[in-house]
Amino acid sequence: MVSATKLEGEYSFHGKNPPLDQSEGVKLHLYRFGIEHHGNDDLKRITCIDQASPTLLDTIILSQWENFAREGHLGYDVTTCKLKVIEGERNFVVQMNDKWDSFLLKEYGKFRQPLGCLKPDCTESHEELLLCIAQGEKDVPEVVPSATPVNDGVLLIANAYPVEYGHIFLVPSATNQLTSFWDRRMFGLIMRSASEVNNAAFRVFFDDGTSIVPDRMFFEACYFANPLPVESASTVAIYDGKARSGIRVYEIVDYPLKALVFTSNNVNALVNVVSEVSSTLHENKTAYSLLISNHGRNVCLFPQAKSLVTGCCLPAWECCGYFVYGTKADFDKASETEISDKMASFSFQDDAFEDLKNLCCAIADDHAM
Amino acid sequence: MESSGGAPPAEERRLLAASLTARYSDWVLEELDELPGSFLLTDPAMSGHPIVYASRGLASLTGYRPRDVLGRNARLFQGAATDRAAVAGVRDAVRCQRAHQVAILNYRRDGAPHWVLLHVAPVFHAHDGRVLHFLAVQVPIAAAPRRRAAPCRRPPVFAACREEARVEEELPCASHAGEAFVDIDKRGLETTRWLEAGEPRVASGCDKEKALSTANSIFSALNRYSKLTGLVVCGKRCDSAGIPALSSSLNLSLGRIKQSFVLTDRHLPDMPVVYASDAFLSLTGYSREEILGCNCRFLNGPGTSLEVLEEINRNICCEQACTVHLLNYRKDGLAFPDLLHVSPIRNASGKVAFHVWVHLDESIKHDFNGLSPEVWQLGAVGAVRVAVRSLSASGSLLRPSQ
Repeated sequence: MVSATKLEGEYSFHGKNPPLDQSEGVKLHLYRFGIEHHGNDDLKRITCIDQASPTLLDTIILSQWENFAREGHLGYDVTTCKLKVIEGERNFVVQMNDKWDSFLLKEYGKFRQPLGCLKPDCTESHEELLLCIAQGEKDVPEVVPSATPVNDGVLLIANAYPVEYGHIFLVPSATNQLTSFWDRRMFGLIMRSASEVNNAAFRVFFDDGTSIVPDRMFFEACYFANPLPVESASTVAIYDGKARSGIRVYEIVDYPLKALVFTSNNVNALVNVVSEVSSTLHENKTAYSLLISNHGRNVCLFPQAKSLVTGCCLPAWECCGYFVYGTKADFDKASETEISDKMASFSFQDDAFEDLKNLCCAIADDHAM
Repeated sequence: MESSGGAPPAEERRLLAASLTARYSDWVLEELDELPGSFLLTDPAMSGHPIVYASRGLASLTGYRPRDVLGRNARLFQGAATDRAAVAGVRDAVRCQRAHQVAILNYRRDGAPHWVLLHVAPVFHAHDGRVLHFLAVQVPIAAAPRRRAAPCRRPPVFAACREEARVEEELPCASHAGEAFVDIDKRGLETTRWLEAGEPRVASGCDKEKALSTANSIFSALNRYSKLTGLVVCGKRCDSAGIPALSSSLNLSLGRIKQSFVLTDRHLPDMPVVYASDAFLSLTGYSREEILGCNCRFLNGPGTSLEVLEEINRNICCEQACTVHLLNYRKDGLAFPDLLHVSPIRNASGKVAFHVWVHLDESIKHDFNGLSPEVWQLGAVGAVRVAVRSLSASGSLLRPSQ
């Protein structure tokens, strides 16, 4: 598909530097965050959001994903999949995609093997590995070539069977990671990445309870052009720690699946609170999903009552009101009632949800300085 | 109205002729003379915006021979009862350099008014987007059938005659319906004439088609003969009129993207540009108004590889992406080595709606943060894909047209 055509006559192209991904031994682009300056950085970040052009991180993720697609590594082109809004109160979005379902398990299965074993002499190719993100030591973010993933970074891996454009897995790169379920530092990097991508379309998901990947923590992310239905649902504030930690907790009302939203302009405070809530839920063997949106400033928590019939849970995007249908017939007859009923069947019971609300408010309060 | 000054002096004649021959081969005049229909070419760059070419068909429609009108402004056809609003519309189109069709009451050389469908179109220099000439095609409009006229008003006899002539002539859709008018003795028919002049006529679809096809044959003649002198002209108007506006939310999302790119609409004829990024405008020197509505070929020029253009077309046809190296031109005429990525872009329905053309001037050193230029360009493609995949509740990306 790529062609280089020589021009005749006096015009010639200057010699280009060999691009990074062609250099010998170099397998990886390493994105390093700039150093966080504590103090006024929250304010600074708020003012530069929204008006800005795509950030370096955003551009690199899109470039690398599109390149992955262009080189033919995708199972299918998700942009050929039709989308529609189910008109109604909630405007659920449904996608017609007959190729997604069957590959799902296979793709998830990859994460049973440790992923941090990339070595320069590795014969296996890792074209799905788009980027490694790690803490940096400079004032501004930078991209450097790296032969191996750094030990305490996040790997961005393209999903060849995407649910939406730009679907990636975000997994810890550490080879020596203990099989602890929740890694707060890792979650910090994820939140920082969401903030640094700084694109409203970029949304990060987390699922605990699918039971396919019991002991390895990983996130997923996609680019959704439109707001997800849950983001348009009404909220009621149940905790306001604005004066102290900057954390607020809201309950999403008038939505078939009970959910809470944690918001803060202080990413670190948000990381601490959500980490503790997540760990607690995990210890209690409670299934839940997370949505990180709004440039890393909102985290939406969907506690789930596992289906007794199937033992499975809704994936995070379904919790958000985005559904993929494998057959045309199902796609055509999808209705708000059907989707609402499905979501409601996974929703927490009232008393359990009250307990969760109390727990979350207590945790948010504990972290208030 | 201007006084008829007869043929212009030799020096002026030479200048007028040069307006065409400086841009086209000498054969262009013969070629134009062969074309049927009544049309003019005017040169907006010359003082007074004079007529520099008049077709042979003009004489039979208006009574003016070419040498009667060369060097004069085209307003000489207008007269007392010509609708000022119609004239203002034409002026506006000329000022904005866009194509325009209007039914207008003109006057023949003998002073007799007649309705014509006037089709005005700018002829652009395909490289720099400059307007070289204006083309004005006149198609006579026959009197409308009187079916809707008030029953008390008796249709004039001549109108009825013409109606017959019109029906006869309209079927083959090519013809000299106008000539019949010329033959009629105007003296003593003042009343009928004024009656008809006073009742604005509406051009039929057939008239409009005829005007357009005449204009198209002129464009193709100009293009055929311009190639000999290395010049390419295009008839695509270079403004956003007629190009459906993108929704404001899509415009906003596209506006964030830094790279130099344009979007072309795959469903409009000749795939016109419907969006151009700021970086593209600064790369090429064009203003947005100049290129919206144009086909991307305005960037091409001498040395642009036809094989590569052909390759792009092939990929567009089979809905494939491609990256090519191409020589392209800025508005100021300077060439630049262009690393061009073209990719089909699908909307929320999964159908190809646009093509994105990402341009990169390879003669300038860029910092791509360790990525290859090819991969860096793809960041824009990804961002455009996300933006175009957006789905408003109505499911439409385009604003409802007025």
